[in-house]
Amino acid sequence: MDLVVLSLLNGVSFGMVLFLLTIGLSITLGLMGIINLSHGALFMVAGFAGWMLVVQLGYSYWLALLVGAIIAGLIGLAIEQGFLSRLYGLTNDQVLLTIGFIYILMNLSLWIWGGRARMPYHDPLLAGTFSIAGWQYPVYRIFIIGAGLILILAIWWLLERTRIGAIIRAGMDDIETAKALGKNMGRINYLVFFLGSFLAGLAGVIGAQMMGPRIGMGWDILLLALIVLVVGGMGSIQGALIGAMVIGLVDSFGRALLPDLAMFFMYIVMIIVLMVKPSGILPRESGG
Amino acid sequence: MKIAELKPGGQPQQGRLVRFSLYFVIGLILIVLPIFLPMYLQGLMTKILVFAIFAMSLDLIWGYTGLSSMGHAAFFGVAGYTTAILIRHYGVVTFLETAPLSILMATLFAAVFGIISLRVSGLYFLMVTLALGQALFSIAWQWYHITGGAFGLTIPPLNLGIPGFTSTAISIYYFVFIFFIICYFLLRRIVNSPFGHVLQGIRENEPRMRALGYNTWLYKYIAFIIAGFFAGISGILFVHWNMLISPYQLGMIQSTYAALCVILGGPGTLVGPVIGAAVVIGLEYGASLYNPERWPLFLGIIFVISVMFLRGGVYPRLNNLWKKVGEKYSYGSTKG
Repeated sequence: MDLVVLSLLNGVSFGMVLFLLTIGLSITLGLMGIINLSHGALFMVAGFAGWMLVVQLGYSYWLALLVGAIIAGLIGLAIEQGFLSRLYGLTNDQVLLTIGFIYILMNLSLWIWGGRARMPYHDPLLAGTFSIAGWQYPVYRIFIIGAGLILILAIWWLLERTRIGAIIRAGMDDIETAKALGKNMGRINYLVFFLGSFLAGLAGVIGAQMMGPRIGMGWDILLLALIVLVVGGMGSIQGALIGAMVIGLVDSFGRALLPDLAMFFMYIVMIIVLMVKPSGILPRESGG
Repeated sequence: MKIAELKPGGQPQQGRLVRFSLYFVIGLILIVLPIFLPMYLQGLMTKILVFAIFAMSLDLIWGYTGLSSMGHAAFFGVAGYTTAILIRHYGVVTFLETAPLSILMATLFAAVFGIISLRVSGLYFLMVTLALGQALFSIAWQWYHITGGAFGLTIPPLNLGIPGFTSTAISIYYFVFIFFIICYFLLRRIVNSPFGHVLQGIRENEPRMRALGYNTWLYKYIAFIIAGFFAGISGILFVHWNMLISPYQLGMIQSTYAALCVILGGPGTLVGPVIGAAVVIGLEYGASLYNPERWPLFLGIIFVISVMFLRGGVYPRLNNLWKKVGEKYSYGSTKG
């Protein structure tokens, strides 16, 4: 029982980080048809930037959260404005360009922060354990789950209840009609790309509480995000959320039950989903 | 026909002469030059040819069929690992025994991965191939009593099973060179065959090919398997050249190398990826002399430059330049 609850909580908190990481990728893909594989590198850069602020310079974790996310957002925006915006519709070129940026961002991070994997860090407020009914559980994990829930609600509210969200959804369904109706999709694209990268950065600093930043994350986290996309289905909040939760839970239960084989379970889940429902569990249904 | 009649008689011969002299120079560089080079440059040229085969195999699916795979290193690595495991764990020593099995393994993996990844297309295909390749990376990393884990497996120098063959840098070079020539001409035959034309049709417009009655899935699947076969060949050559195989040869980074060779050189040209391999491996070597730690940064910049400024690759540009030079040459000769 203890193990089940623990694995459940671990899986959900990991799933929250995966969701924040993936949602930006999913929406930019759905809205603009742009794939940014350096998304995982942004996660890593934010994790390191936060580490520098909190551990090296002694600033507050909450500041690091904001700064890490803004740095990731700005780098993402710069890549979009400087390069990706000239490659609309050229998926292969986008892929290769952003692979180039993975190498660039990883090597620059190595240059700035060195090759050592860093310890996880968090705010002193979140350092302790939370005990309920005789169980001990780290507070920061509870925080991750809480923050994830709040951000899911915020993203849902933004997309479903605001004017901008309506334009974004219209763009995802049919970008030509949205343009024809006089919507300035260019400006929406800036905003969405910045927000997507911002969320990747936020995920990087939030996730740094459970996995300390290291350079190799640029690739490893990208892989997780892609598996989440494939499993959940592209271009919808629900898809990203379900994919992230499935992979998070599979990972944590795998680690608890068969630690040696844990890393293979997510591949197996991915293969099963591909064989049964190639479009993912909850793909975006409307639109082209 | 008419154009040929209009042209002065001597001209095609002269054009051919120029072309043959180019082939002659390339042949000289590939066959004679290595004898006079120091050992490390012989090794470098070997590595370029190995990666050239690898990149050409990716070009068959990436450039000719329009299937952008990011997991192509899986087959390269599987073949390399099979050779290393056979030698280290099963005492099979000669190339004639290990090579067929290794290539078979690579081909089988391609057959299985093809079934999974060809369920989807486009970007999804890319993600799935990437993830499958990375799954093999994880297996190689974890299954250490067989694969040697993170350190990989070392193997003794190449044993051909032919008396009198000794493994030196230059003999390995010619060994790889022979494979390179065979693979090039086989792949050339494939892309110029009716089968190859169907693949290019699929690349240009898959629904139309389907409407014409082609089973496009089957064509893509067969192309994927053939590409795995050739990647397997490059994998076994690699392990014999390097005498070490590690999980990185299966993973994303190795796959991105092949993709870079293809796009830098010119996808869908076969020659382009060879040029790409020469440029990428050559630059990597140059960087290793100067500052190996910054190589990934340069590699990233090469990716960005290739995509932003060299779309279509180097080879088509060289080809155009070559044609212009040829025209100038022939105009000059008609005037004179």
